[in-house]
Amino acid sequence: MWVDTTPSPDAEPTSAPDNVPDDAYGPLTQPLTESQPASQSTSQSTPQPSTATNATRKTQPITLPESAQAIKLVFRGTAREYFPIWIVNLFLSLATLGIYSAWAKVRKKRYFYSHTTLDGTPFQYLAQPLPILKGRLIAVTFFAIYWTTANFFLANLPWVLLVMAIIAPWVVVRSAVFNARYSAYRNLTFDFDGGYWGALKVIYGWALLTILTLGIAFSWWQQRVKRFMVRHFSFGGQAGEFDATGGQYLVTYIMAGLIMLGAGIVIAAVGFAAAAIKPRYVPMAILPVIYVAYLLSFALIRARLGNLVWNHTRLGPLGFRSTLDVRKLAWIYFTNALGLVASVGLLTPWAVIRTLKYRADNMEVLLHGDLSQFVGGARTAVAATGAEMGEIFDVDLSL
Amino acid sequence: MNMLTALTTTSLPVLHFDGQTPQGEAATLIWSERTAKLIGRRTDAQFALPQLRVSPRVGSADRFIALPDGGQLQCADHALLDRLPQESRTEDVVAWLERQWGVALACVALLAAGLVAGYFYGLPAAAEYIAPRVPMAYEQHVGEQGLTMLDNQDWFQPTKLPTEKRQRILEDFYRLSADLPSASRLRLEFRLANPAIGANAFALPGGTIVLTDQMARLANSPEELSAILAHEIGHVELRHTLRHVLQGSVAALVAATLTGDASGVGLVVSGLPLLLVQASYSRDFEREADDFAFALLKRRGYSPHFFAKVMERLEHRHDKGKQAHKQQGDNEAGDGSDIFSFLSSHPVTKERIARARAAGGIALPAAPAHANELGQSPENEAAEDGDEDDAEEQSSTTQECTPEPDATEIAPVGSPGAKFC
Repeated sequence: MWVDTTPSPDAEPTSAPDNVPDDAYGPLTQPLTESQPASQSTSQSTPQPSTATNATRKTQPITLPESAQAIKLVFRGTAREYFPIWIVNLFLSLATLGIYSAWAKVRKKRYFYSHTTLDGTPFQYLAQPLPILKGRLIAVTFFAIYWTTANFFLANLPWVLLVMAIIAPWVVVRSAVFNARYSAYRNLTFDFDGGYWGALKVIYGWALLTILTLGIAFSWWQQRVKRFMVRHFSFGGQAGEFDATGGQYLVTYIMAGLIMLGAGIVIAAVGFAAAAIKPRYVPMAILPVIYVAYLLSFALIRARLGNLVWNHTRLGPLGFRSTLDVRKLAWIYFTNALGLVASVGLLTPWAVIRTLKYRADNMEVLLHGDLSQFVGGARTAVAATGAEMGEIFDVDLSL
Repeated sequence: MNMLTALTTTSLPVLHFDGQTPQGEAATLIWSERTAKLIGRRTDAQFALPQLRVSPRVGSADRFIALPDGGQLQCADHALLDRLPQESRTEDVVAWLERQWGVALACVALLAAGLVAGYFYGLPAAAEYIAPRVPMAYEQHVGEQGLTMLDNQDWFQPTKLPTEKRQRILEDFYRLSADLPSASRLRLEFRLANPAIGANAFALPGGTIVLTDQMARLANSPEELSAILAHEIGHVELRHTLRHVLQGSVAALVAATLTGDASGVGLVVSGLPLLLVQASYSRDFEREADDFAFALLKRRGYSPHFFAKVMERLEHRHDKGKQAHKQQGDNEAGDGSDIFSFLSSHPVTKERIARARAAGGIALPAAPAHANELGQSPENEAAEDGDEDDAEEQSSTTQECTPEPDATEIAPVGSPGAKFC
């Protein structure tokens, strides 16, 4: 699965630095205090000694002023701590022929969630391994049908693909529901209430339009799908709002297109230059250019769309500020790739942790008002089937 | 509170979240043998101790204590928490394992050993065991579908080989495969191939072998053609298609598991290890089929040298194709071979030729690849082809069989060359 930089209950748990300003610390915890400051109980993990903020917090009214307070997302995971968790769970997953992978998923998600704190409180991943295992078995069955058809009964493949296309919106929706309901913050779970028909319309309707307009509507398609996901996402009874426009998406895609165009020119120049020396040098000369162009456009889309989506999302009194930088992200991806190749994959925990940390370091939650708008609701169990199918077929749109 | 309970009482500072609002309340959890008390500014509650549930330890993160009323306590990780009822005992075991560096290092070693053993022995052995147990009908169906698809998609056209030549080849083919276990399934099909395929031969799943007209013409003697056919029969006899699909699929699953965590953080080449593994399996199969062919040829009284000879001819033809491209200024003439040879699904041709020579024993003088030792006259064949839309094919045929190198003879750009599979 992708570690997504776009808003999702998965991506939310991520990271941030220790320099949380005093005044930014505590608006969410404010009605506690008195004899027992919040941070005293969590002193081991909170970056700031709370004594300094204690006084301010005590005097703050429950209803906050309209001016936004910024609260940084803090990611406390370390590669050193995550490495054994990663390798033990990977080993058990392979040693049990994949059965244990459901437990491994829970452990890893719990690590990322619980080391991501907002205002001193970590996020929680609440899904249980057994429903995940059940979902995985169903997803694997579907995948086996697809695989058998593709390898042995090719003539029937269009039918299988048609069936899969029909259930894809269901997978998207159920996957979002599962991820949301089993993600919690401060004992309130997230939720997703999008339906099959809504997903079907937005996914295929706009896809059709994209085809009819020869790709021009692609940006609007992406924007509509994201808007669908955000609007149906909620926390404590407050649904998300989304006001990024398709035009803003288009700007990013045009920039990515320009990178590709530039790369094409460089490839042609380098290719001819190398060919003039020796034709067999051509692939050697061209490949790095292709890789750099791919990396840059990948980072560009991740960073710019990540910023766009978060900066245009609101959740009740909460806004978000995402400040990912294309060059820094590209550098992280590049050095990750180097490290992973050089270490035969053993640096995976390092790569994952530093990427999540960069993501969290560049994320702030802006509190515009009163937290009491969020209220807890009834909790209901959700099957993991959709989420697992989304993962195995990589159609999970997260958010 | 009397003195006795006070002695066994434990307390921890906690943050209380009631599940109704996101606003936390600092509180203290005090517990003794049976009961727990939660005391905060807004709260003064008492719970039976066995009803509490502590979330599993994850790294150094804060942990949560679930209360029976739906509330929750956030709490820094502390050894005292282990004395309370735990949410999941099984996860606690894993959490303990995750904290042992010895276990982590052992996992690295076991994983490395397991992957190497699985790659070299386990997976090939498992596929070899399973393949003969899969019903043949299954594979035959696939083969038929594959051929139909290739026919429908312009890769193949009906053969233009004269009937008597096909008859001769078929006779050789049946003689070659007469007493093999797969004899009843083996079928030889002739096709005129798209130039992108050129001189080649394929073993389709289920026992159908396709020989392209170009390959039939390239071979100088029935013995050379038999060498090629023996190689393809080897693929069928050894169930290579099925084994390749089985091995490749399991390898893909393992690769996905291994690189899954890294795929989103910039490792754009996560598919590369898989490609390498699959290519290496393909090379193993080619070697196996070569060995099978050498043994079969010897049993039928042919020398594996014919295999070496036809390979040389193919290679020469491929080189000539590349030269032709160079002359035309087409610099993308698929000459990434140095970089990409490790990605190739076939063993390096030179190695195969050497192995064939070794299998054949005493070395024969290497035949000049384009010597005029043709069994048939190319002109005759070209004349027999006759079709108007086959002009390109005719010229190509002529060039294959005439000694002078001709710039218009084109080997497919970027194709693995004329090596047969």
